[in-house]
Amino acid sequence: MSHPASVIMARNPFLHTRMSAIQLLPDLLINQIAAGEVIERPASALKELMENSLDAGATEIAVQLEGGGVKLLRVRDNGGGIAPDELPFALMRHATSKIASLDDLQRVASMGFRGEALASMASVAQVTLTSRNASAAHAWQIQAVDGTQSAASPAAHAHGTSVEMRELYFNTPARRKFLKSEGTEFAYCEEAFKRIALSRPDVAFSLQHNNRVVWQLPVCALAQRITALLGDEFAQGAVTVDHQAAGLHLYGMASQPAYSRATRDAQYFFVNGRFVRDKVLAHALRQAYQDILHHQRHPAFVLFLDIPPEQVDVNVHPAKIEVRFRESQKIHQFVFHALQQALGTPMTEATPSSHTVGAASAATTYRQQAGSYTTPAPSPLQHTMPLRTTAEPLAFYDAMFGRKEESENQETKNGISPFTFHISPQEAQPLGHALAQLSGIYILAQNEQGLVVVDMHAAHERIVYEKLKTALDAQQLPIQQLIIPVSFAASALDVATAEEEQEALAQLGFDLAPLSPTTLAVRAMPAMLKQSHAETAARDVLHELREFGASRALTERRNELLATLACHAAVRANQNLTLPEMNTILREMEQTERSGQCNHGRPTWFQISMVELDAMFMRGK
Amino acid sequence: MFIEKIDRDVLLKPLQIVIGIVERKQPLPILSNVLIEKTGPTLRFVATDLEIQITTQIECTDQTESDAAITVAAKKLQEILRVLPEGSKVTLDIQDNRLQVKANKSKFNLQTLPAQDFPKVGEQLEQVEKVQIEQRQLKKLLSMVQYAMAQQDIRYYLNGILLVVDGNFLKLIATDGHRLAFTSIKTDITYTKHEVILPRKTVTELGKLLADTEEKITFELAENKVRITFSDIILTTKVIDGKFPDYERVIPNYTNHLALDRLTILQALQRAAILSNEKFRGVRFVLTEKNLRIISSNSEQEEAQEDLETDYHGVALDIGFNVNYLMDGLNNSPEQTVIFSFGDPNSSILITVPNNNEFKYVVMPMRI
Repeated sequence: MSHPASVIMARNPFLHTRMSAIQLLPDLLINQIAAGEVIERPASALKELMENSLDAGATEIAVQLEGGGVKLLRVRDNGGGIAPDELPFALMRHATSKIASLDDLQRVASMGFRGEALASMASVAQVTLTSRNASAAHAWQIQAVDGTQSAASPAAHAHGTSVEMRELYFNTPARRKFLKSEGTEFAYCEEAFKRIALSRPDVAFSLQHNNRVVWQLPVCALAQRITALLGDEFAQGAVTVDHQAAGLHLYGMASQPAYSRATRDAQYFFVNGRFVRDKVLAHALRQAYQDILHHQRHPAFVLFLDIPPEQVDVNVHPAKIEVRFRESQKIHQFVFHALQQALGTPMTEATPSSHTVGAASAATTYRQQAGSYTTPAPSPLQHTMPLRTTAEPLAFYDAMFGRKEESENQETKNGISPFTFHISPQEAQPLGHALAQLSGIYILAQNEQGLVVVDMHAAHERIVYEKLKTALDAQQLPIQQLIIPVSFAASALDVATAEEEQEALAQLGFDLAPLSPTTLAVRAMPAMLKQSHAETAARDVLHELREFGASRALTERRNELLATLACHAAVRANQNLTLPEMNTILREMEQTERSGQCNHGRPTWFQISMVELDAMFMRGK
Repeated sequence: MFIEKIDRDVLLKPLQIVIGIVERKQPLPILSNVLIEKTGPTLRFVATDLEIQITTQIECTDQTESDAAITVAAKKLQEILRVLPEGSKVTLDIQDNRLQVKANKSKFNLQTLPAQDFPKVGEQLEQVEKVQIEQRQLKKLLSMVQYAMAQQDIRYYLNGILLVVDGNFLKLIATDGHRLAFTSIKTDITYTKHEVILPRKTVTELGKLLADTEEKITFELAENKVRITFSDIILTTKVIDGKFPDYERVIPNYTNHLALDRLTILQALQRAAILSNEKFRGVRFVLTEKNLRIISSNSEQEEAQEDLETDYHGVALDIGFNVNYLMDGLNNSPEQTVIFSFGDPNSSILITVPNNNEFKYVVMPMRI
């Protein structure tokens, strides 16, 4: 980020002192310049201090803020502490206990390693460091103001370390002006706190602001920590992700499309426990949600990727918010598939999750009621019988388009028809049993929670679409050789990518040959794509290969075609369906991946529970 | 003239037989009516709720006029007849589409609806399997399983009793997903396998109408309905069109047995039930060598404890149940002795009677 203040400060001396001699900058100034990168605002200091505490093996971290963290920011932990004789080095630049050699840097497993956080802080704020390690008889304290350190003096402190940072930017008023209001700075701090708290459910955290407890998080399981920080609503609308392959492990929770947000908040991705924003990952996630999420909505997720430390370079950005993967294509594929699989699990296999739309669930979090939480004793649980019927195979297309069941007989002439009420012989299912059709558009069904309303066209569209996709995925991709290669002007980057990624391109069905340093020719392409699209398709593929290491541009194009086909093959509105036909659609939906959304990301069904219906009629009030 | 000078009681009896299925609050007015048909000397009464139809008939000596048929509000007619003095002679007459009831010096005019609008089930049944059994036997069998039927369960096929004929056996099975009751009886006739699910309402109605006689009752099992004929009654019912769960897989085969006197355990449970949780009705069975301890407690921390001496030699066990489920089974078990068979604390228990396969009752445990 180009900070206006630093631009001004850097430019003016340059303009006026062009003639002066080259000299080494004083340490304080070096640290202050570095601080511009590392300590952007109180939140970044908080992040650094909390990460230090975690690296010190703390199991309890207490954060106290005043004035949004500008006036006071104190982090206290019960970690290993610092030996008294090492204390003076702690505030020095490039002094760290975390790595010792380049080898260590390449396999860095601790949160921090650059050794500049405390030094930067000490150069722009008044820092007090109090620490006692296991062998020390009492704690020692040092203070730093304006880059000058006091000598270590004895102090009172339990095992662990406290870092106190007061009056951030007191000596650089220009920067201080760029801090926002107390509320905004606190919000940034809280966000930083949440990121770290999410990543370590095995550590207890607490956050106080202006002497008011904001968060109190005991040690718990990951799912509980996520629920506490993101709310019940998220947890109920999310699927659990847990996927492991080739030394990679992706786990956490991702929202189902029905629970989506208008903004990009509530997106947390951790690589080896470190919060990151990475475009390869972001792209993989967007792909996984493609065609199930409405394009104006954003998913919410808390995901953790564990990857061997040597496969990822975290030393890209001073705040370590960006990472670089050694094999970004592999990571992209892995994340995409793991997430797509989790989101696509048909509801008959998934763990039951409430899919209620519009239910104003009172999201009880730990927020503002810290400490008062007690776990209620588990209530008695009646076991149920493993009742199983031998399911009859579905003859889907038979029921949909062919023979109708000859259940209607001659007794219907008076409008009253005894003994003809017909129910299809299926097991009780998540989407229940069809009751009727509403206006030829919606299927009304009854399940255990209450009423289910299904948009039958949207639902059937998805069913047909998924069938077409599966059918095509199983086939070899037919490739069309072109008689006249389609040539187009390409940038040097595109040409280089085409040469580098020959193999990947061949797998996708493309044969691209460079004709000149600035021209590429398409010699063969997948038969499914129209020739007229050769150039744009090739450009898209190259762009994605370069940016994300993998291309799904073709699959997307193919899927668009299939979606159009599916739309025409699905039942239309105002088509009268019989109960067995409706039940067949419900059963198919239960077995189809992503059947909660149509191909355009609109929902296909929703539930109105008995509780909601009762509320509408003020029953039991 | 419709009917002349018939004894009140003679008229009331068939009316009471059919009236059980008539719903007083009916969106469809004709369904709250009873159809009265006169054909020669025969007077036939029909009531229906579109799922069940009950028909019964009496012979009347009076043969004054030609045949006639009319429908009239069943409950009102029944009320009137009931409160007329005993031994009254009743005359029914149709005038201007109204039914006039006269007895002594009382006179009532009731609204009617035309008989041809009354929804009746066709007489014809196709592909019928005929099953016969003594009325009192059936009554006993029904009582052994009836209580385990589900009530308005979303799994609609559980809201009734499964009737199976297979070879030389007739079996009845009911389950609500928490417990399952099974009973079977040997028959003289050999049947080909046939299964129907009788709806809950049919079963309760049948239970009320069955008499304690050796007279036979006949089931005619057709494609989607069943006709049941007994005494002077014909009950035609639709069956639940669904697949009943595989009950045989639910009935376990355990090796830990415990024989108990039915009344002793039942009374112990009745006492323990008083202090069991009002909502969950949980009781704990703690089984040790030669002892069965029943423990219950409620939300107010009140506790009950019962110790029963037994001949138990199996493994020690601590398992919880809904006490109502156990008492249901014990109340309807046909013998003086019951045998409890146990698996592990998370598995069902099986209650049977010694030396025959007539009665089996499976209850799923409750984690307390």
